Amino acid sequence: MHYKTTRFLTVSLVLVSVLCILVFSFLAVYMNGQSRDTISKVGTIYMSGTSDQLSLNFETTMELCLSQVQALADTVPPGGGETQALRAELSYNARARDFDALAFCSSDGQFEMLYGSPVKITDPEPFLGSLNGGDIKIAIGSNEADEKIVLLGVPAAYEMANGSTSTALVAALPVEYFQKALMLDEKDPLIYFYIIRQNGSFVIRNQHSGHDNYFDYLRDTSRKLGGENTQGDINALSAALSAHVSYSDVMQFGRERWHIHCTGLRYSEWFLVSVLPYGELNEAVDSLSFHWIALALLACFIVLLALLAVFRVYFKMTRQQIRELEAAREEAMHANQAKSEFLSNMSHDIRTPMNAIVGITAIASANIDNPQQLQNCLKKITLSSKHLLGLINDVLDMSKIESGKMTLSMDQVSLREVMDSIVSIVQPQIKAKKQVFDIFIHDILSENVFCDSVHLNQVLLNFLSNAIKFTPEGGSIQVTLYEEESPKGEDYVRTHIFVKDTGIGMAPEFQKKIFDSFTREDSTRVRKTEGTGLGMTITKYIIDAMGGTIQLRSELGKGSEFHVTFDLERAEVPEEEMILPEWEMLVVDDDRMLCESTTASLASIGIKAEWALDGESALTMVEQRHQKRQDYHIILLDWKLPGIDGIQTAKHIREKLSDEIPILLISAYDWSEIEKEAREAGVSGFISKPLFKSTLYYGLKQYAGGDDLRPKESTEQEVDFNGKHILLAEDNELNWEIAEELLSTLGLKLDWAENGQICVDKFQNSDPGHYDAILMDLRMPVMTGYEATTAIRALKRSDAATIPIIAMTADAFSEDVQRCLACGMNAHIAKPIDMRETVRLLKKLMK
Amino acid sequence: MSLKECYQSIGGNYEDAVGRLYSEKLVRKFVFKFLNDPSYQLLEKSMQEQNYAEAFRASHTIKGICQNLSFNRLQESSSALTEALRAGYSPQVPELVEKVKADYRETVEAIQRLQAEEGMG
Repeated sequence: MHYKTTRFLTVSLVLVSVLCILVFSFLAVYMNGQSRDTISKVGTIYMSGTSDQLSLNFETTMELCLSQVQALADTVPPGGGETQALRAELSYNARARDFDALAFCSSDGQFEMLYGSPVKITDPEPFLGSLNGGDIKIAIGSNEADEKIVLLGVPAAYEMANGSTSTALVAALPVEYFQKALMLDEKDPLIYFYIIRQNGSFVIRNQHSGHDNYFDYLRDTSRKLGGENTQGDINALSAALSAHVSYSDVMQFGRERWHIHCTGLRYSEWFLVSVLPYGELNEAVDSLSFHWIALALLACFIVLLALLAVFRVYFKMTRQQIRELEAAREEAMHANQAKSEFLSNMSHDIRTPMNAIVGITAIASANIDNPQQLQNCLKKITLSSKHLLGLINDVLDMSKIESGKMTLSMDQVSLREVMDSIVSIVQPQIKAKKQVFDIFIHDILSENVFCDSVHLNQVLLNFLSNAIKFTPEGGSIQVTLYEEESPKGEDYVRTHIFVKDTGIGMAPEFQKKIFDSFTREDSTRVRKTEGTGLGMTITKYIIDAMGGTIQLRSELGKGSEFHVTFDLERAEVPEEEMILPEWEMLVVDDDRMLCESTTASLASIGIKAEWALDGESALTMVEQRHQKRQDYHIILLDWKLPGIDGIQTAKHIREKLSDEIPILLISAYDWSEIEKEAREAGVSGFISKPLFKSTLYYGLKQYAGGDDLRPKESTEQEVDFNGKHILLAEDNELNWEIAEELLSTLGLKLDWAENGQICVDKFQNSDPGHYDAILMDLRMPVMTGYEATTAIRALKRSDAATIPIIAMTADAFSEDVQRCLACGMNAHIAKPIDMRETVRLLKKLMK
Repeated sequence: MSLKECYQSIGGNYEDAVGRLYSEKLVRKFVFKFLNDPSYQLLEKSMQEQNYAEAFRASHTIKGICQNLSFNRLQESSSALTEALRAGYSPQVPELVEKVKADYRETVEAIQRLQAEEGMG
């Protein structure tokens, strides 16, 4: 194929080149001939014109001269007056007309000179013949000095000296006169003129050749220059002269070409020969034809070059096409092979669960009366069906991708929700394989982004299900998510997701083609695990479609880590203002990064947090705080901790602190499993990892007690204790005044009891239900708060057991608190009086 | 001398006090009332009588008032004394009493100065 194309191209190129050269050569030669012919034609036309004009000129000149002679004869007619005087008058008139000589001519050719040098006629017969016949005639002759002269004869019968009568009056003019008149004496003329007789002898010539006869001259020239067929031409010319017709022809003398034109002249036996040598014209024509040929060759060359270039490019293109075609064919064959292989693998994979379904269905039918066996069978069928469905889904996804039908629907997505849903999906699988699972979130710049959540889920689930599948029991799986500024601009945020496992890992060869279609690591240990092998291809495709990148680090036997990076557009969510009270919190997790990032997140919602890396140090910190009576408001505990775990830590903390302080567990595991144990240990609640800012906010918000989110406004505006009566037992007047001042702003009516005894008395003397609550200082003279409370609770009246009694104490040691509760108080508040806390408690305790 | 400067000179937290009691006027009122509070006299008396239970209560009360008014320096020394007296007499009590006395005097003097200046003005 390739060879044929090359040969075809080469042959056609050669043929076209030859054709080109031929056409241009023909063109050059033809045009050359044409131009030569044209030049000849132009020469002929020009020559005949010039000759005609010249002969006319000659005639005119002759006629003029003859008419002057005639005029002589007419002015002085024969026989008019005395002979002597007549002659004198004739001579006088002739001289006046510039004639050289004047003579009477007898019929036998004798001249009787009137004046001038005696003349002799060269060829008398035709001259005399004509004159005797009464015609005017011109002839050539010579004078005594042997100068050539032209004789002009007019018939006239004058009385001659010898008594006879003349036949004509003859006047003589120098030949030069005619030469001048005919412009025959020009130097280096383009055209040469001669006047010759019929036999070829020269009458007048303008150049001095050694010849007397024109024919001899032509023959000589022909001999010198090597003429062709000169004799034939001379004969033709001679014949034309004899026949008295014009002759015009081109004569070739070697390289020279002469155009010869010959016409007869009137009043004489003479012929005018004009000769145009083509020499100079030839040069012009030659140069023209040289240019012609050169141009034609150049044009030919250019056309050939262009042709060559076109052929070359075409040739290259053809070869390229052929190569591409071959590559495509190879690729197609390869893909086809992969697909066939895939199809056979798939069929095998599909057959396995299908066989199971068929087989187990048969078993189920056989055991239709055994519910336990039946249930077992149904469970197995469900499992196999799910597996089958997974396989088919993958194949469908792949065919969608291959046919280019997969589209992304970008929507506002909360990364928190995505991560939460993924964690809840993989939790059961992780639990089943007893794997260690953790999830880290830090540096979240924007929780809400634009993304195709379905496909993002698919990608993450694929990584995670692979990690779970290929990680043995007890292995660990870790998901990390963080964000950073995107190079795409402020509207974007670069999101990194890592999925790391300590599984079987991948061989370097397989890592290279893991993202190719229809591949699966072909080794026995993978054979055990099912799958289409399309998951990674689909994942890669989705990531590409989202404009992300994927990186894989893996080592056989050590584990794998997938790292996905997306530049996601930030979603402009009018975020709820996430502000919580100025709590002080403790975060306990063994991961320093998580602690720091969580602390930062908490700070952004207005919470001051400290952190500890294990249970022991957390306990120490809680204790120290407690000593200082500055307990943490909320404690976050990781479930899995080194040393004592989260639940144990919670138990220890709870022993020291009141139930009021919430202890929350944070974990990526399913909460339901450990809930009972945790609740018993005193854990108040649970926050699921990952800990986004919003996760923390919504998880902690409930502990802020609803309306208390904005403390100052709520105490002043929203809380209405109007008309409620409070009995306040406080021994110190100043403290009482302060308490009264603060609490009365809430609309409360306060009664003061200076000590425990007075307090008991005042309560006892009041109507049941008059007081809505009692605030009790513990340290009082006469009767302490404890004693007073015990006494009040012991009273026999309807509200004695129900009235809320709240301890106020400057030292909130846990034993004090315990004692407060033991003697019947409902709660305690620390001094100095914290309005928020007081309001919260009063609201909670008073109906 | 402003109330704020007075707080500074006695090692108190003015912002805290105003934040809790809502207005400077109230703080001023209670600060001046502090001068008439009998707890310190009770402390001195019970110390002389070696009635350490009563001394503990008095010290405790002083601590409570100081917490209310954010007199942090006096609160710290009275708090230390309270803890020392919680279980009766202990060897470091006399030293701690002296500290409380010094801090109390300083506090009272500052408040009296403020009162005198304001009385003049």
